[in-house]
Amino acid sequence: MRAIDAGILICAECHELNNQDADSDEQVCTRCGALVHARRPNSLVRTWALLITAAILYIPANVLPIMTINSLGKGAPSTIMSGVIDLVHYGMFPIAAVVFIASILVPTFKLVGIGLLLFSIQRRQPLSARQRIWMYRFIEFIGRWSMLDIFVIAILVAVVNFGRLASIEANLGAIAFASVVILTMLAAVSFDPRLIWDNTESDDDHD
Amino acid sequence: MSDPVDAARLSELPLDDLVACHECDLLMRKPELAHGEKALCPRCGYELYAHRHNVVQRSLALVIAALLLYVPANFLPIMELNLLGQSSKDTVWSGVVALFDTGMQSVSVIVFLCSMGIPLLKLLCQLAVLLSIRFDIGRSYGLLLYRIYHHLRDWGMLEVYLMGVLVAFVKLADMAAISVGLGLVCFISLLLVQVGLEVVMSPHQIWQALSGEDAHAGD
Repeated sequence: MRAIDAGILICAECHELNNQDADSDEQVCTRCGALVHARRPNSLVRTWALLITAAILYIPANVLPIMTINSLGKGAPSTIMSGVIDLVHYGMFPIAAVVFIASILVPTFKLVGIGLLLFSIQRRQPLSARQRIWMYRFIEFIGRWSMLDIFVIAILVAVVNFGRLASIEANLGAIAFASVVILTMLAAVSFDPRLIWDNTESDDDHD
Repeated sequence: MSDPVDAARLSELPLDDLVACHECDLLMRKPELAHGEKALCPRCGYELYAHRHNVVQRSLALVIAALLLYVPANFLPIMELNLLGQSSKDTVWSGVVALFDTGMQSVSVIVFLCSMGIPLLKLLCQLAVLLSIRFDIGRSYGLLLYRIYHHLRDWGMLEVYLMGVLVAFVKLADMAAISVGLGLVCFISLLLVQVGLEVVMSPHQIWQALSGEDAHAGD
């Protein structure tokens, strides 16, 4: 059975069990003092809001240049995709694959994946609970890795600093891209995984 | 809920004998764990809690090691670049400064937080929590700080930064001569110590010791 059915609330922070107090709206955990809720309030709405904002910023993040490489007076703007293509041209396939996965596949997968999770919970379709929980864990685990390109830019800007000979500067695309990564991470945090199990059939439910 | 009789019995048990999965809300009888064992949720596979030896002492050693490594990891050069006789050094801190100076303040703040600020705050929170348990002082602050630590956890990204260093190496390799700095060694050590700390410092035992439910939970 679920803890919510037994009138027990789990503290989201220290995982202590608390007996639900029917009279109070804002109950605090007996152990750590955090607010406890049966389910995170407005979890789906908040997650949708963050997700849609991220999806809008996803366009400038991919279209605008994230950095410009200035060499001997000539400036070459570089987008996320062109950075990957350059690495392929140098023959650095493993690193090109890592950057492609971290900067292109993961953000796209996260946007689609969180959207699919929300949709499947609201429509009670089309994924099984087990598929949903794996998707959720994968998204939660992989999200941080998209920051890779932002860190690469920070390192390159600092180290390639030879005045007119060669220098690298960051551009607006980097702000949009960093925002997408942070917004999708916040969306994963605001999503309450317990909702995944709430409206599934209880056939794989061990008591 | 295959067995309603069992379900009714479960909700009558005192809270101390129960455990609920944080990720799927399944309610279970609490299993007794020996040292080195861990309990997993049978429905979704989430790790409910683990039971480890000498949690407080071992974690304290690791936190202190990490704090000692923190300064050299962030302020010693990670790499040095030589281009036609000119050389430039890169540290984690200089990356933040360079972004700030080129007008990318917002990105610079994000890089600072993810690679330096939050990892340091996490370590300081862990240190304060462990000292609070070890010397039995300021338990209420300890609880608050440990809650803050759990909110910060996802936002420290040392391992991603290390991968960023690797990518930068490759991108620069055919443009100029690169040499690795001592800072990189310290950075990798800091990362390894922090991974060890995540494994050793089992949250369930820390919460129990902090709240005074079981004074020896962290031994």
